Amino acid sequence: MKPTPVFDVFIDYRKRLFTKNLVKGVQVYGEKLVAEKGTEFREWNVRRSKLAAAIEKGCPNIFLRPGQRVLYLGCSTGTTVSHVSDLVGKNGLVFALDFAPRVMREMVFVAMDRGNIAPILGDANQPATYQDRVSPVDIVYQDVAQRNQVSVFLKNIDMYLKPEGYALLAVKARSIDVTRKPKGIFAEVKAELERTLTIVDFRTLDPLEKDHAFFICKKK
Amino acid sequence: MHKNYCFSNILGIFIFNEHLKVIKSELFTNNEQYLSSPQTKAALSKQYHAVEPTGKSLDRIHEHFSDVKYDSSFVARNIELTKLHVKESVNEDNMIIQSVSSLMELTTILNMLLKRLREWYGMYNPETERAIEEQETFVHEILSKDRKQLLDRLETSERESMGGEIAKKDVDAILFLAKQIEHLRLFKVRQEGYLEEIMKKFCPNITVLAGSFLGAKLIHQAGSLKQLVGFPSSTVQVLGAEKALFRHMKTGARSPRHGYIAAHPLLASAVSAMHGKIARGLADKILLCAKIDYFKGEFIADKLLKELERKFK
Ligand SMILES: C[S@@+](CC[C@H](N)C(=O)[O-])C[C@H]1O[C@@H](n2cnc3c(N)ncnc32)[C@H](O)[C@@H]1O
Repeated sequence: MKPTPVFDVFIDYRKRLFTKNLVKGVQVYGEKLVAEKGTEFREWNVRRSKLAAAIEKGCPNIFLRPGQRVLYLGCSTGTTVSHVSDLVGKNGLVFALDFAPRVMREMVFVAMDRGNIAPILGDANQPATYQDRVSPVDIVYQDVAQRNQVSVFLKNIDMYLKPEGYALLAVKARSIDVTRKPKGIFAEVKAELERTLTIVDFRTLDPLEKDHAFFICKKK
Repeated sequence: MHKNYCFSNILGIFIFNEHLKVIKSELFTNNEQYLSSPQTKAALSKQYHAVEPTGKSLDRIHEHFSDVKYDSSFVARNIELTKLHVKESVNEDNMIIQSVSSLMELTTILNMLLKRLREWYGMYNPETERAIEEQETFVHEILSKDRKQLLDRLETSERESMGGEIAKKDVDAILFLAKQIEHLRLFKVRQEGYLEEIMKKFCPNITVLAGSFLGAKLIHQAGSLKQLVGFPSSTVQVLGAEKALFRHMKTGARSPRHGYIAAHPLLASAVSAMHGKIARGLADKILLCAKIDYFKGEFIADKLLKELERKFK
């Protein structure tokens, strides 16, 4: 197991990504567990997690550090959240939000196993509705695949991200407009983000995730 | 006169003094306390002469809760509240959607098994397999009569038949599959009855206008009755034809005239030239019925159906 440029993310001899498992022996989505010198690592599947795909595509820093607080919008069943939870560690905290009860049910089970995830059934498009359930965070992460994903992202950053915090966004071009070329859509998203944020990294995720891009931004 | 602030969140109710230090807190230990917090909060505010924080003080109070000492409570309280919300989310829509999905799967499975049965049984008795087209009759006949009886009725014999001479245990294996198909069919009939029952109860208008199966498929495709109600009627018209719709948007191929509603008796029996018109009228009325059912309005579907029949039959 060798370190990668990304903090606390590791790579094995077959170039598969791993994070240190926060809860020994517990799998989240059927991923491989590998023990080495007293540490257990969890494989981070680049085809199932857009954050892992961004790292695979060369992103050198995702700005997640131990002890941070993260607001994760569109957590689904917790595949990526579980790795974010590994990265912020036992002194960190992830608020994991999704509006679909069916996926929240799985998310709750994952949260109960891990201890640093606060699951919330809520609509990211209405950040005020969960203001009494979260507190200001160091990182906002969003992957909601909705037409208005950029405005949802900006609203949440405005309300919950601390100054100089980082904001990570996975964009699915098809959910903004199925008929247009992704390139044009990404350029538009970029322009919209740059009005209030500084973009520190941009990657398209092809071929790992078709017509997806990943933005890392910093709050001014 | 010094100023106190009263602030509450999922963790509890907190009184902060003018220096934004907590001077009193009531921590929640269950959902009920959180859900009834407005009352408790009002009482506490009064007792401490506290006001709602705003602006800078509110920001600083929010920051106060970024302290790691609150993390485990955020986790515990949010888990408990989300568990309740997931519990409360289970409703009639879920029962309708699960049961119609199960029915659609059963239909697919039955078709697969029937195809296999015909293929297999055809090795043994091809003349009968070919002679009985109707599926239910076919299964019933091969289970209730032996090969000789069946061939007699076709005025032929085992000697003249192209069917192979296979061992009894081979024939038994084939008929065992037939038996399972018959069971599955009965199971499907029961499921249809159940779906009809819940649809009649929760969506009486849709059920009369569209039928329980079609109505439930539309709810399933929309995600919920609420979402169906939110769609324009042009979307209802093509629900279930998503593939053709995407093809239309990407390549400019012909847009589909209808999706699931194609199975409605009014459309199934109409000449092709009328399909577009009927599909529009039908989608309109189904949507109207969905709205009435969603808002628990009165029953008018019988009148709407008659109207449609008069217009299009
Ligand atoms: C592509 S999935 C996210 C996958 C996840 N990030 C992962 O990598 O494991 C998108 C999720 O966003 C959720 N979603 C979409 N719109 C939302 C909204 N407005 N509020 C909350 N969740 C939303 C969906 O329910 C879905 O689970």
